[in-house]
Amino acid sequence: MYTAKDRLIKALKGEIVDRPPCICPGGMMNMVTTDVMQQVGSMWPEAHRNPREMARLALGVHNLTGIENLGVPFCMTVEAEAMGAKIVLGSLENEPRVIEYPLLKLEDWPRLSEIRLEGGRSAVLAEAVGILTTQNPDMPVIVNLTGPVSLASSLIEPMSFFKAMGKQPEIVHEILSFITDNLIVFGRSLLNAGAQIINIADPSGTGEILGPHRFREFALPYINLILADLEGSYQASMVHICGRLSSIFAEINQLKTKAISIDSTTSITKLKAALDNKIIVGNVSTLLLQNGQPDRVKAVALNCLQKGVAVLSPACGISTATPLANLQAMVSAVHDFDYLNREVLCFD
Amino acid sequence: MDSQQEILDRLAEGVREMDEELAVQASYEALENKIDALTAINQGLVVGMNEAGFLYEQEEYFVPELLLCSDAMYAGLDVLSPHIQRNTAESKQKVVIGVVEGDTHDIGKNLVKLMLEVADFEIYDLGRDVPAVDFISKVKEVGADIVCLSTLMSTTMDRMADVIELLKKEGLREQVLVMIGGGPISQAFANRIGADAYSENAIGAVKDAKRLLSEKRVAI
Repeated sequence: MYTAKDRLIKALKGEIVDRPPCICPGGMMNMVTTDVMQQVGSMWPEAHRNPREMARLALGVHNLTGIENLGVPFCMTVEAEAMGAKIVLGSLENEPRVIEYPLLKLEDWPRLSEIRLEGGRSAVLAEAVGILTTQNPDMPVIVNLTGPVSLASSLIEPMSFFKAMGKQPEIVHEILSFITDNLIVFGRSLLNAGAQIINIADPSGTGEILGPHRFREFALPYINLILADLEGSYQASMVHICGRLSSIFAEINQLKTKAISIDSTTSITKLKAALDNKIIVGNVSTLLLQNGQPDRVKAVALNCLQKGVAVLSPACGISTATPLANLQAMVSAVHDFDYLNREVLCFD
Repeated sequence: MDSQQEILDRLAEGVREMDEELAVQASYEALENKIDALTAINQGLVVGMNEAGFLYEQEEYFVPELLLCSDAMYAGLDVLSPHIQRNTAESKQKVVIGVVEGDTHDIGKNLVKLMLEVADFEIYDLGRDVPAVDFISKVKEVGADIVCLSTLMSTTMDRMADVIELLKKEGLREQVLVMIGGGPISQAFANRIGADAYSENAIGAVKDAKRLLSEKRVAI
């Protein structure tokens, strides 16, 4: 009998397990809903800055829906704030967001402060990880990192940053190297606090936005640096990539992680055919999760399993208005799926 | 001396090839050669930007390239615009555009704005993180033909529905076309919230805007 922790870690590493787990990683891939907040009695925006509330909310998602992981944070702004961006924490429905960039000009990047781990929400996050791992030894705890390109575009006006990729690539590399070093320090602090799994999502650094050439130059190497540097500190890793992936299949194969999480624009079948030696995490439509009926959600989740996802999850962050019944229906798919009749995922 | 067409070609090339210097130099040449500024813009710079848009659609250009092309275009426009003979009688179609409340990602919105501007729409850009009520008051104030809503985050998609609901409540829904777009948006979502169009990218948005307006004209 697997614990949820063993099952997810093994599944993300591509090992055979009794059944795929169903997860909502957190971070960019938000899993908190207003129903959960109300039933747990722990609300946004307070939960973003209070470790106990944050931990209760993450645990509440698991308890109320059956989702088989704990994950923090619930936004993509912790790193940016700890490096000097001005943020607002949002509301009950809306996530925190960056409202002011610390860098006006790219050339000023040496003035960027190193990521602050003490005090502030970095410390909140590490403390929440500590609470979650101590109190739930059988549950996998995922920490979510903002990818380097996305973090850069939270520190500098994104238009100037993207343009600089063409005009001043050296400076862009200098900035991304600095940011990556800081993300490694940040990631290590969260893994040291007890988390076992790291998830990196870089929604501003996708193949669809950058194109394959610049994805190869500016996104892939830095994500790989984080994964390589922290290797040994985590037990399993995953990378979420938004948007259409068809132009960057070759690059995805070069990501130093076994598990690739995808959104609903990418076909599992095509991706499976194009990737070697990877497993897929995904990709139940978040729109359906919000507005569909539970039986339809379950049917779509079963279809994802049939097509061969190794870990079932929503395709993106879920809306805070998503009904609990639909999340429960998604989870029920992993319990009711007929695994004996599924094609084998991975042999190695 | 170069022919007018050669200069227009260089204007287009400067934009398409992301060559700001060439775009500026060709703009001065256009003025020296007494090419009408509006002609130089529409048959030079705008042609180049549309070519860049085509390359974007073909997935040869991506966001960074499109942004660099737009820099070259605006550099040329800075030279040429002061020399336009204003035709005040001409009225353009008006578009109110913004990123919905809760989201500050505005690259996609900026690309749509850019391509609509190139297509000769009059743009009222509300920026990002825009409350629903601000869209409504701007639509009223300028008598907008189209409102364009953008978001990158799945968690803020519902704010688009809020804008549409508020337009209905204010009795404005029939007057104004609603177009939506952004990473997590789909045609299914557009249908569900009652938007008039979902545009997959900035080039599609221009086509959709023109199509919707001509359909509306036929309907009237």
